[in-house]
Amino acid sequence: MLSVSGVAGMVTQVVGVAAGAPLLVGWMRQVRARLEGRAGPGPAQPWRDLRKQLHKQNITPDGTTVVFAAAPVVLAGTSLVIAAIVPGVTTGSPLDRVGDLFAVVGVLLLGTVALALAGLDTGTAFGGMGASRVVTIAALVEPTILVAGVALSVPAHSSNLGRIVATTAADPGLVASPAAALAFAALAVVVVAETGRLPVDNPATHLELTMVHEAMILEYTGPRLALIEWAAAMRLTVLLTLLVNLFVPWGVAGAGAGPAGLLVGLGAVAFKVAALGTALAAAEVFLAKLRLFRVPELLAGSFLLGLLAATTSYFLTGPAG
Amino acid sequence: MSSHTYTSLLYLASGVLLLSAVGIVWGRPLRVAVRLLAAQGAALAAIPVLGGAYRHDWYLLGVGLAVCVLRAAVLPGLLARLVPPPVGLTDPREQTGAGERHETGPLLGTSASLMVTAGAVVLAYAVGQPLVALDPSPSTRAAPVALAVVLMGVLLLVTRRRAVSQIVAFLTLDNGIAAVAFLLTSGVPLVVELGASLDLLLFVLVTQVLTARMRVKFGGTDLGELQELHE
Amino acid sequence: MSTAACFAGVLGGVSLSGAAAVAAVPTRVSAAASGLATAAVGVTGLVGGALAVAGDLRPAWVGWLVPLSGASFAADATSGLFLLVIGAVSVVAGLYTVGYAAHGHLGRAPLAVLPVFAGAMLVVPLAAAVTTLLLFWEIMALTSLLLVLAEWRREQVRAAALSYAAMTQLGFVAILLGLVVFAAAAPGHAETFPALRDAAVHLGPGPRAAVFLLTLAGFGSKAGLVPLHVWLPKAHPEAPGPVSALMSAAMVNLGIYGIVRVDFVLLGPGPRWWGLVLLAVGALTAVYSVLQAAVATDLKRLLAYSTSENMGLICVALGTAAVLAAAGRPAVAAVATTAALVHLVGHAAFKTLGFLAAGGVAAVTGQRDLDALGGLARPMPVTTVAFGIAALGAAGLPLGCGFVGEWLLVQALTHAVAAGGTLLALVVPLAVGVVALTTGLGVAAMVKAFGVGFLARPRSEGAQRAGEVPATMIAAMALGAISCGVLAVAPAVLVPVLSRVLPELPTGTAHGPGPALGTLVRLPGVGGSVSPALLAVAVGAGVLLALAAARWGSRRRPAARTAALWTCGGGGLTSRMEYTATSFADPLRRVFDAVLRPDVEHVVIAYAQSPYLLEKVSYRSWVHDTVEVVLYRPVLRAVAAAARGARRAHTGSIHAYLAYGAAGLLVALVVVL
Repeated sequence: MLSVSGVAGMVTQVVGVAAGAPLLVGWMRQVRARLEGRAGPGPAQPWRDLRKQLHKQNITPDGTTVVFAAAPVVLAGTSLVIAAIVPGVTTGSPLDRVGDLFAVVGVLLLGTVALALAGLDTGTAFGGMGASRVVTIAALVEPTILVAGVALSVPAHSSNLGRIVATTAADPGLVASPAAALAFAALAVVVVAETGRLPVDNPATHLELTMVHEAMILEYTGPRLALIEWAAAMRLTVLLTLLVNLFVPWGVAGAGAGPAGLLVGLGAVAFKVAALGTALAAAEVFLAKLRLFRVPELLAGSFLLGLLAATTSYFLTGPAG
Repeated sequence: MSSHTYTSLLYLASGVLLLSAVGIVWGRPLRVAVRLLAAQGAALAAIPVLGGAYRHDWYLLGVGLAVCVLRAAVLPGLLARLVPPPVGLTDPREQTGAGERHETGPLLGTSASLMVTAGAVVLAYAVGQPLVALDPSPSTRAAPVALAVVLMGVLLLVTRRRAVSQIVAFLTLDNGIAAVAFLLTSGVPLVVELGASLDLLLFVLVTQVLTARMRVKFGGTDLGELQELHE
Repeated sequence: MSTAACFAGVLGGVSLSGAAAVAAVPTRVSAAASGLATAAVGVTGLVGGALAVAGDLRPAWVGWLVPLSGASFAADATSGLFLLVIGAVSVVAGLYTVGYAAHGHLGRAPLAVLPVFAGAMLVVPLAAAVTTLLLFWEIMALTSLLLVLAEWRREQVRAAALSYAAMTQLGFVAILLGLVVFAAAAPGHAETFPALRDAAVHLGPGPRAAVFLLTLAGFGSKAGLVPLHVWLPKAHPEAPGPVSALMSAAMVNLGIYGIVRVDFVLLGPGPRWWGLVLLAVGALTAVYSVLQAAVATDLKRLLAYSTSENMGLICVALGTAAVLAAAGRPAVAAVATTAALVHLVGHAAFKTLGFLAAGGVAAVTGQRDLDALGGLARPMPVTTVAFGIAALGAAGLPLGCGFVGEWLLVQALTHAVAAGGTLLALVVPLAVGVVALTTGLGVAAMVKAFGVGFLARPRSEGAQRAGEVPATMIAAMALGAISCGVLAVAPAVLVPVLSRVLPELPTGTAHGPGPALGTLVRLPGVGGSVSPALLAVAVGAGVLLALAAARWGSRRRPAARTAALWTCGGGGLTSRMEYTATSFADPLRRVFDAVLRPDVEHVVIAYAQSPYLLEKVSYRSWVHDTVEVVLYRPVLRAVAAAARGARRAHTGSIHAYLAYGAAGLLVALVVVL
């Protein structure tokens, strides 16, 4: 099953996500800054921040265990694995058969859990608060992801992401189906919740009491903080990639594509993710953070959309085999 | 237009119909609800328009355009005038209270309404199956979706407090009914459709006047407060 | 080639001689004797399981064992699977007992009963007749009741044991009634399983449904299915560590065994509604129990609720299999059946380990309350790692041993959507949502158990004084951890057993191919594959890559050091400021307020001078088992009222009692004649 094209595509994806993720975050911040009438530091600022953090001293807080030290690495490691699996540049990643949609969701959750445990490990009130909130949101997001995943897997007869994307690319009619529209809306909410964007979490907040993701990582500094920031950016990039390619799969290289195909795939996905990121950043200008106890309402709505996607696809396409 | 494209677009229109109804149940700001209603009207109008274009039926196309003008533009436009503009854009002295911009204190919480909606949709799909079985065609297959919109309209009518929400709920219900009619019969007589739409227009105008009077009298449009009137 | 009866005899011999040995040896070594005897029973079970899977145990009838009917034994591969699981759990729990009981936590009587309990559990899957099954079922129930009562001096233990005794006997009655109705249909009222199997076709739909519902209730109560689960989260935590492990990882499986044996193999394949009932009961159990686990603050209670949750998931899988089999989709049904069996094995592995680690914590610190634990990672590193592995499995995450089972279940549900029928298309997405919510809340529960219980700082004296458990307990936990690890990355080890079990089940591979559990787990006829082993390798590679990336700039970096926690500039962190299990679960408790219905007592006492100056604030909250409050309390109240009424008839006069007897006789005569 190991094809040169697939391996090359996978490596391109991993390198592209690793290098491009901070740029995407920088770009989104820049878009937001411009829309709010500020000059903005430019899209390369996250990379400069990472470089600065990586040259700082590693500090281990008293009383923390190996969990605290390991969590950033696990988070970054799982993000890299997902970057290798998700069909961004090519549908022929050799890892495609190793992990399907549900496995990707599990690996994503593994990273979340690692960071939540690190938050608890510090023993501080804010660490525990962040961990508690993040785990609550992750638990409530899960039904939406899986139900929307089922809605997407049914037309492709497979839950392997490469296969789903390839099926959609081959039959553009699927994109315009109501099931796809509903599943897209559901998954968009999921991506917002999983990556801690507005209105679920405010990535730019400075108030500890309202933090979710930032509260967990308050005790981190230096290289470990850099790793977490980088991993968080990769998660955002990978999830946007997944979202955009599940519903707008054009340009993705097929299983046996040559170097030119891969290049086209890379360009297409970079453009699409940047466009989606711009849209997300622009939307965030108009949004306020929801109260934590209003978040379940949002997630209940997204679950309903996922459920409708799963049932509607069945009733509109008829009892297909 | 090929049969495949027609089917896809028809289903997309019913998907938007459903999505906008879910959005109305989901959200609290009335301004958003009115915008969603406009989208819903457009999706509803798309059904006869698509049917007309597919079957080269000019009459159906005309009905669709009339529906579009009325339900996607006129009715939501009238409704939008009932919702005060966002804070900051108006003179503070004209503020009538934040409650007028949001649906406040619905009888059923958002999460619970969403769960009930899920149940209603499942019910609509289940009871719609015999209807589909009568004459399985692309358009009848989408009829259970429209049925679900009807049920969601009823749910909204039952649980919402604000007068504007009530009108939105009623229009959702009517959009659902019209969609069922379009999907099942592929063509309602123009007179019937126009009659229904004019009724709606009249209804909205009357409630608009009524709402304004209510606001003057009670300072708000919470229908729960009307309970006291019967004494 | 030996007979199943011989093997059952060997099991009985080993158990009873173990019990006798415990009773005979000096107190000093009785713990070791009991543990080793239990482990020996477990090893016997493993051997028997291997023989049964290979088909080397012939059925046999032993006339003298049970009066009138005799006892009959048989073992097919299905029995073998359960023998292997229970045997393995017994070996690990037995080994653990050696060190655990040496602390003096267990008296001589419970130590003597322990091997008998393990033996009785192992004979149940061998029973091949109604009487034999009921006999050993009851021995199992009684011995486990005695073991729950090991620490009978505590009030909670006695209350839990009472609840357990009542529920297990009611369950027994339900099974008895169900099987009696079933056996009545057999020609000549034969009660052996082959005769019952032949009789199933002659059973009318009414009695058939009655048998199904009665046996489901009876076996389901043992498996902890809602609403018959109330005893489980009380009795399992109150039992001593190794007994909790045996009950939660081995005994509950026999509830599933009963459902599979009676309702699937003997009575089935049933109509579609059976599957839907199983699906609904399983879904309800899974969500309700995991929700209780997510808000539980008692470490062992949390694990017990998690047991109930996993039994619910297994039930969902079995229900899906039954529905799909009824819908004529054997290939997908086989996937669902495989999911149930794989998850059963995985659950046994991680739950044994979890309860052993929790038992160690309870023994060392004297605390089970998560709000009083914490900071155990330093004094108890091995126990912490063991619990971490168990929690990873229980959370159903990749690299944990619960992942493959849940993945197969989701796959089966995914492909059930298109399997035909409006009902399936409406029910299945809901079931997926339930399974997903269960997984998500399970993750929350396990993060809480591990993060609050083992990480951070100690929250009590007991947790501060903690030290690592003795070597035998570590060895037992190591065995458990190794099995968890193997099951997590190489589910292929189950193939030799499952390939024999699945063809025996009506929803298995009797009518079609099953999923391939190789390095790549693949499904028949449908797309979708996952490879736990390669995924583990990929995550490992990703972690190495991340480590390498973090090396960037490390040469110019100042030397690493430790420093005080920043705590947002607060400083002086005490354990009172930590997040507790209660506060960790608070958002979930609020979200699911309507289901959990917590009692909250919030007292604010202000100074007389001003309402804004507070003298004292106290906040307490309890989460009860809602099902118990809503369903059981009214029934218990009614029973108590009836009993009060009946007490009036008890005058204490011997003549009155004789008159009651005579009246009873008269009524009986009138009815019969």
